Amino acid sequence: MSRGEVLTAFPTGSLDEKIEALSEGDIQKILAVFREKLDASAAAFLYSCVHCGLCAEACHYYLATGEAEAMPAAKLELVNRIFKKYHSLLGRKLRPLLGAPALSRELIREWVDSLFGRCTLCGRCSLNCTMGINIFTLIRAARSALAAVGLVPPGLQSTVETAIRSGNNMGISKENWLETIAWLEEELQNEVGEPEVRLPVDRRGAKILYAINPREAMFFPLSISAVGKIFYAAGEDWTFSSVNFDVTNYGLYSGDDEAAATMSARLLQAAEELGCCEIILAECGHGFNSNRWEAPQWLGQEQKLRVRSILEIVAEYIRDGRIRLDPARNAKLHTLHDPCNLVRLGGIIEEQRYILRHAVENFIEMHPNREKNYCCGGGGGQLAMSNFAKRRIEAGKIKAEQVRATGAEVVATPCHNCIDQLMELKKHYQLAIEIRTVCEIAAEALIITPRAKR
Amino acid sequence: MTGLRFGVLLSLICSLALLAWQVLHARSFGQQRPLSRPRGKPHRGIFYSLGPGMLPWEKESAAKHLPTYLAGVLYHAGIFAAILLSLGLAVQVDIPKPLPTLFMVTMAGGFLAGTGLLLKRSLKPSLRYISCPDDFLANILVDIFLLTGLLSVSFPALVSFFLATAILTFLYVPLGKIRHCFFFFYSRVLFGSYFGRRGVLPPESRAKRRDKA
Repeated sequence: MSRGEVLTAFPTGSLDEKIEALSEGDIQKILAVFREKLDASAAAFLYSCVHCGLCAEACHYYLATGEAEAMPAAKLELVNRIFKKYHSLLGRKLRPLLGAPALSRELIREWVDSLFGRCTLCGRCSLNCTMGINIFTLIRAARSALAAVGLVPPGLQSTVETAIRSGNNMGISKENWLETIAWLEEELQNEVGEPEVRLPVDRRGAKILYAINPREAMFFPLSISAVGKIFYAAGEDWTFSSVNFDVTNYGLYSGDDEAAATMSARLLQAAEELGCCEIILAECGHGFNSNRWEAPQWLGQEQKLRVRSILEIVAEYIRDGRIRLDPARNAKLHTLHDPCNLVRLGGIIEEQRYILRHAVENFIEMHPNREKNYCCGGGGGQLAMSNFAKRRIEAGKIKAEQVRATGAEVVATPCHNCIDQLMELKKHYQLAIEIRTVCEIAAEALIITPRAKR
Repeated sequence: MTGLRFGVLLSLICSLALLAWQVLHARSFGQQRPLSRPRGKPHRGIFYSLGPGMLPWEKESAAKHLPTYLAGVLYHAGIFAAILLSLGLAVQVDIPKPLPTLFMVTMAGGFLAGTGLLLKRSLKPSLRYISCPDDFLANILVDIFLLTGLLSVSFPALVSFFLATAILTFLYVPLGKIRHCFFFFYSRVLFGSYFGRRGVLPPESRAKRRDKA
């Protein structure tokens, strides 16, 4: 069955009904796809878990709820049962001893509930695992198996489908995108007082293709203006694509590798068609992880173009003296939330701190921070899965407490999913904070020298 | 007694062979080589993962559960001592003093730690939730192995019991969770390589980047 057929296999009805309607063939398909996603690393990891449970408090779901089901080891065990039963050397013979039941509808229900509904694939448990098991990769493998039979929660699946159908996850038409850019360009020219300021689209031969999170165009246009302003100040040679401008890739979360590959290929194609030699990704955690680290695996090819985060080049501009910042313009107390996909799983850890050190007067770290930071709860596709929204907000309590403890007035975070979650946490947990991207803060501090005077 | 001594060696060989087979089985799943451009060095991540990354001040889960972490260290030290003792007895090597006393103390510590961990697993609901029969059986078997080893140092008449439990323990190793004695290293290498390649670990390399920045 192709992915397109899967999408129409369960046109209506809840996930429970879909699970009840699964045929023996569907169950076999789950097993086959799960097997296909297992590689030597996954098998070694699954052979390794000793159920020590020390990972429990690494997970914000467990910390917030205390539910045993939320322990990373419990979630991993759901996956491991199938490995032990069907793929390990001795699991079939020692089933009662090892706890390895056959794949049943009940277990599939638990997979959907826990692997989609109690995990943000943030990787914090892996860092705290005694054995060093990359639990998030195994949970994603199980999500892939569920995706193969249409068992991705509807909100998340619909986001993937919208991106595949329209080219971006918000379904923004080319006309709307171009209108938004034209409007923002005009605003930016007025703000800077320079008619030369451009937000170029489809400029052939530009050095950089810049890709954004479509939520910026819909709800956070200031994020786009901020980067446009920084590019202008740095004298950067860059462009947007009129068609493929979406940095996000919800295939990472749904587990649908085929869809994920399609989305990442579009960005590469746009850059190649425009003759760009580098793709710069906007402040989007999972978009960075997808396009920087995972896309080559999905596409089965080495990275031809350099792919970097906007934070890397803004830090470079500051270091090279291409832009100057006045921290006095950001006098409030700032803190920084580290998005998991960008930091723990992406390796972009110091750049945002470097930028903020130059852009704000008062900065305080939250604790723990960097790769040890807690997930805000917005990753893993959680923001798209309304059926698990209550749990998401509950699990976000850890982040809310972490933010409150800093006493900061502004929370900087280089990720729009994190921003959305933090905004909900702000409302729910009554946090007196302002939430901004790192580039918005940097743009605020930017000292613009008119071109003529350079 | 000769049979038991021979049995210890044979069971250890069987165990190692089965463990090696399992590692080969894991490797038979195949591995796509990483295709993205590295940001850090995998070998540095591996070194960190097998060394400093295991220390309580580096790993939050160890720091938050220091008694369990220390019990784990003690337990494994005791097991290591018991394995050495059983092999020494199997090949009839005279163990020079004060090693038997040192083994005894280590095994005593290991036994207490192992029993403590067993109690924790039995009493803590969240741990019971993630446990399967293997988790209890492996722990009990190893605790008996440690206890008989400990007693056999003072009471030579119990050596045969110790060797018999050694055979059982060695044979059980590849069947359940004790296989982590091999897979621990495999997993930590994979983990270190993954995060090392992405420039996340070790933290020192980031500090250098930051200073450079």
